[in-house]
Amino acid sequence: MAILTAEVIGKLDGKGDADTLVYAPMGGDCTYQKTRVYSIDYNGASNDAEQFVMGTLVDGYAEEVSFTGEPAIENYAFFIDYGMKPGALDLEKEAIMSSHRGARDRSIDISSLKITQRVYIFSGGEVAPNRFIRDICNSAIHVWSVTEANDRDVA
Amino acid sequence: MEERPKALLLKFPGTNCDSETARALEAAGFVAEVLPISRANETVLEAAHLVVFSGGFSYGDYVMAGRLAQLEAERKLGDSLMRFRDNGGYLLGICNGFQILTKLGFLPRGSLINNTSGRFICRWAGLKREVSGNPFLKGLPESFELPVAHAEGRFIAPDGDAQDYLGRGLVALTYTSDINGSSSAIAGLADETGRVLGLMPHPERFLWASNHYDPDWRGDGSEWGWGYMMFKSIHDTIAAEIAGHSP
Repeated sequence: MAILTAEVIGKLDGKGDADTLVYAPMGGDCTYQKTRVYSIDYNGASNDAEQFVMGTLVDGYAEEVSFTGEPAIENYAFFIDYGMKPGALDLEKEAIMSSHRGARDRSIDISSLKITQRVYIFSGGEVAPNRFIRDICNSAIHVWSVTEANDRDVA
Repeated sequence: MEERPKALLLKFPGTNCDSETARALEAAGFVAEVLPISRANETVLEAAHLVVFSGGFSYGDYVMAGRLAQLEAERKLGDSLMRFRDNGGYLLGICNGFQILTKLGFLPRGSLINNTSGRFICRWAGLKREVSGNPFLKGLPESFELPVAHAEGRFIAPDGDAQDYLGRGLVALTYTSDINGSSSAIAGLADETGRVLGLMPHPERFLWASNHYDPDWRGDGSEWGWGYMMFKSIHDTIAAEIAGHSP
């Protein structure tokens, strides 16, 4: 069993105004960028796992992917990773897994898939993650974590 | 008795414009059948003259619009769709169907991604017909309107290709204003043969003149809207082929 982490970045996605992420605009100079992170537990060759990601989860014209496991974007103040709670129905995961199981000639077997939305926040000054968590994440269905620029998990 | 052209609408979980598209095709003279992709095979394709991928949110648009439908269509049909086209069949993709046809590789290289606004848009769009003689569009005026409703309608192509597509007559339709950030304002694409068309606007939503937002609208003086003219164009082309006339 191996684990592949793939972070998918939109090639055409620039940084957006972080005020659009929150209900009460902050009026500062914060910006954000979103990516998707897939964590795949699989049996098979790593090349085949990467091929699965490229063929199923990435739009080759509009997106690129990082398999390093490190944050794909630099110079952030922090980023928030959020996804569905364990046990909650993740329809996107189910759709991907169902598609994978339906493939007659699949080269890898995926035993589990975790999908995380990643929101990078960029700021020239001090900015607290909590107000972003409050407005982006839904505590009824999501789990989340915050990683600051020094790689210290803070929430 | 005159044979009516047959249209086959392939339906995926989440496809939701198949009923009104079938109705539009029937109004134009087709015999239309909606078929779940799980029951599709080469034999049913061979019985059709036109295969339609209608609009909606196949597989919830998960991962990206059209990707999971592309994978399922490839599994179920393999090269059958390619043979269907090569043997003279026509393919039409509307909105999500355009996204699927693009991902299946039937249309010039590129992708339909999130609108530049980042939001779903639902409105009427001015359109310009960029080609003459396309079997799907020949009954339409040079400029007309159709409704659009999409979040991922921004067509992008590898560097410089969108202009190249325009020059080569592969761009069937453009928007008359920038509504979603599409390269070269592309709203619809055709393949080299002209037998495949994909477009983001929804012709099936402008079947009758009374569908127009202006209650006094009378495009060609009839009861029909421009969407009907599109379905009628491809119907008349196929009907002429069946009858042995050159369209």
